[in-house]
Amino acid sequence: MAYQTRPVEQARPLEQAPLEFPYIGDVSQYERIDKIGQGTFGEVFKARCKKTDDFVAMKLILMDQEKEGFPITALREIKILQELRHDNIVRLIEVCRSAMDKSSRSKFYFIFEFCDHDLAGVLRNAHVKFSLGHIKSIMQQLLDGLYFIHKNHIIHRDIKSANILITRNGVLKLADFGLAKVITPPKPNHQNRYTCRVVTLWYRPPELLLGERDYGPAIDMWGVGCIFAEMWIRSPIMQGNSEQHQLELISHLCGSIEPSVWPSVTKLPFYTKLKLPQNERRKVQDRMKPYIQEPLALDLIDKLLTLDPKLRIDADNALNSDFFYSEPPLAELKPLLSKYPSMFELKEVSRNAHNQQMQQQQRMKQARPNVPNLPSETIY
Amino acid sequence: MPLWYYDKKDLKSTPSIHDGVDAETEQRYRREGCRFILDLGFRLGLRSETMGTGAVFFHRFYMFHSFKQYPRYAMATCCLFLSGKVEETPKKIRDIMKTARLILEGARERYIPTLGDEKGDLILQYERILLPTVKFDFCIASPYSFLKQYAKTIVGDKEQIRQMFQMAWTFVNDSYCTTLCLQWEPEIIAIAVLYLACKLSKFEITDWTTKKENSKQKWWEQFVEGLTKDIIEDICHQHLDLYSKSNLSSPGNGTVGNPSIMLTPTQTNSTVTSPIQPISIESPSTSRSMPSAKRPRNDDESNYRSSRNNNHHHSSFLNSNIGGIPTNLTVPPLPSSTSYHHPIICCSIVKIPPDRNDQ
Repeated sequence: MAYQTRPVEQARPLEQAPLEFPYIGDVSQYERIDKIGQGTFGEVFKARCKKTDDFVAMKLILMDQEKEGFPITALREIKILQELRHDNIVRLIEVCRSAMDKSSRSKFYFIFEFCDHDLAGVLRNAHVKFSLGHIKSIMQQLLDGLYFIHKNHIIHRDIKSANILITRNGVLKLADFGLAKVITPPKPNHQNRYTCRVVTLWYRPPELLLGERDYGPAIDMWGVGCIFAEMWIRSPIMQGNSEQHQLELISHLCGSIEPSVWPSVTKLPFYTKLKLPQNERRKVQDRMKPYIQEPLALDLIDKLLTLDPKLRIDADNALNSDFFYSEPPLAELKPLLSKYPSMFELKEVSRNAHNQQMQQQQRMKQARPNVPNLPSETIY
Repeated sequence: MPLWYYDKKDLKSTPSIHDGVDAETEQRYRREGCRFILDLGFRLGLRSETMGTGAVFFHRFYMFHSFKQYPRYAMATCCLFLSGKVEETPKKIRDIMKTARLILEGARERYIPTLGDEKGDLILQYERILLPTVKFDFCIASPYSFLKQYAKTIVGDKEQIRQMFQMAWTFVNDSYCTTLCLQWEPEIIAIAVLYLACKLSKFEITDWTTKKENSKQKWWEQFVEGLTKDIIEDICHQHLDLYSKSNLSSPGNGTVGNPSIMLTPTQTNSTVTSPIQPISIESPSTSRSMPSAKRPRNDDESNYRSSRNNNHHHSSFLNSNIGGIPTNLTVPPLPSSTSYHHPIICCSIVKIPPDRNDQ
C-alpha cells in the first residue's frame, strides 16, 4: 500500500507461536538472590538479570485474593511509572510473568531497578554519619523527584523514609507508587473527592487527619518536612498511635490547629468532631534546635511543617530555598554509602500490616480509654 | 514502549486470517466487538475515553490472537473491564457481566454462553491473557482530547463550529470500530475526523488562533508537521467505509455492527442519545491546557512519553515512504459517491458528554 509508514517491530511470530504468551518477559530470565522485603503484599527479592548481570528488585503482584481481577493499585503504579521517567523516581524495568501453574495461571512481577539502601534503614544505622552536605544532597534529590511528579499532576500519597531508596552510587529514588494518584488541578466550583485514608500515619498531614478529601501536592510536602527532621533525629518525629494521637502530637509541635493560622480548617469534616489541644504555641524551631544547628534548615522545616496546606511551601520554592545555596555545598553520597553493605530493612512493615496494627491499637484504646500512650522513641 | 502501529498489509495478515477467518469477517468481528464496548460502556455510564481505551485494547489483542480462540463479546467485555480500571472509572465485574448479558439478550442470545458464568470468572481469566498481550502498556491517549484541543483553535461561526465539533466527536466513537487506531496516532485521527466533519458540514477552516499572516500552512500543520492531505483523506475513506451499505447489513447481528451515526435518537444503545449538554468549546480562555494531567508539557525535565510524543511522531512522517506516494494519486472529493450514507442527517442531534476528565 502506498501509505506504508512504519517499521513493524511487532510483526507477529506466527510460525513460532507455541508459547501461549510470548509477549512480555519471563521471570525466569532473572535469578533470585535474596529476599529484601516481606509484608502482606508479598515478597520482594533481589535478583540478577541473567542477560545483563544487572541487579533488580522483583515484586510479586498478588492477585489471588482479588475479586476484581488485576488490582487497580498495581495498574496505577504501572501506569504512573511508565509515564514518569526521572533520575529520582525508581525505574520500572518491566512487568514479567512466571510460567503457568496447574490451573494455567501465571503470576506477574514488577521488575524494578535495584537500590542498595532505603533511607529508613540508613537512618537506623548509627554508623552512618551524615554531614550537612549529605543531608542537602538527599533533600534536594527528594524534592527534585517530587517537583517532577507534582508538575505532572501526580501525588505520591505515601511519602516516608522507607519508601525512599538510595543506590550504591548515591542517587535517591522515590519508590512505591502503589498509592499514587493522578490529580486534577483545583478548579472553582469543583471539589475532588479523594480518599483521605492515605499516607502512613506518622507522616500524615493534618488536613488528611481532619478528613480533607480535596487535597493536593501539599500532602507530600508535609512528609518531606517529617523526613527532613528525621535526617538529624534519626527516627520518625511524630509516632502517633491513632489519628487523634497524631493530631495531638502535631499540635504540640506546630501549635494549636485553629482558624487564626489556618482559616479554612473549620470547613473540614472532623474539625468540630475531634477534641484538639488548645493554646499550644508553635515550637517547631525551638524543639528542633537541640538537634539541628543549621538555621536555614530549621527555617525550611518550619515552612514544610506548616499546618495550612495552602501556606505550606511547595517543591519548587523549597528547592529555591537558601538552604541549598549556602555553605557547605552539597556532598556526594557515594563515598559515604559505598562503605556499607545493602541496608534494606527486612522487617519492612507493609501498608496493610501497618493498618491492621493501627486498627488493633485503636480498638485497644477504645476498650481502655485511659491507656497511656505507647512509649516511643520520639523526642517528645 | 512497544510500537503499536501497523501497515495495511499487516492488518491483512492477522492471527484470525491465518486461522481461517476471512478478512471481511474479521473486520465485522472487530466492528461488532467495539460497538459492543461502546454500548456496554454507555449503559454503564462510562466516559468516552474509557470506551476508547477498551476498544484499543481489543484491536491490539486481536493482532496477537485469533477470533476463533477468543470469542469477541467476551474479550470485548474483558477489555472494557480493564480499561475501566486503567482510566480510573472502575466498574464491578458483576455489574459489567449483568449489563453485557442484557445487551446480548434477544437477537444475539446465542452468544451469551461465550461470556462464561455470571460471576465473570472467564472474564477474569481472560484478563490474565489480555494484560501480557497488551504488554501492560496503559498509556493510551484518545483522539477525544486532541479533538477538543484542536477545535478550540478554530476561528469562525460559533454555532457552526459547535455542530461540526459534535459531528467529529461521533466520528471518533465510530472510528474505534475501524482499525484506524492500529494505523495512526490519536492526534492524526483527531485531525482526520475534524477534516471529515468540515467537509460534510461545508465549513472551511480558514482562520485559527495561531495562524500566521500570509502563511500557506494548513490548519492541521500546527498540530502535526508534515501531515499530508492524502493521508488525511485516506483515513477519511477508511472511516466512511464503515457507513457503506455492505458494512451496515451485517448478517443476523441486530444493531451491533452498525455505527452510531445510523441509529435513531430513540435507540438507547448509542452515544447519540447521551442526554448531557454538549461541552463548550467557544471560549479558549476557559480551556485547560490540553494535553491534560495525562500528557504534561514537554519541557526538559518531563521527558514524559517523549519517544512517542515527539520523535516517533515526526519520524513517522519524515522517515516514511510518503515520498513514494505517486503524485498523481487523486483522492476523490469527500463524500464522493452515493455508496456513502450522508451522516450529516443524524449529526445535529448528537450530544457530546461534558468534559469529565476530572475524576
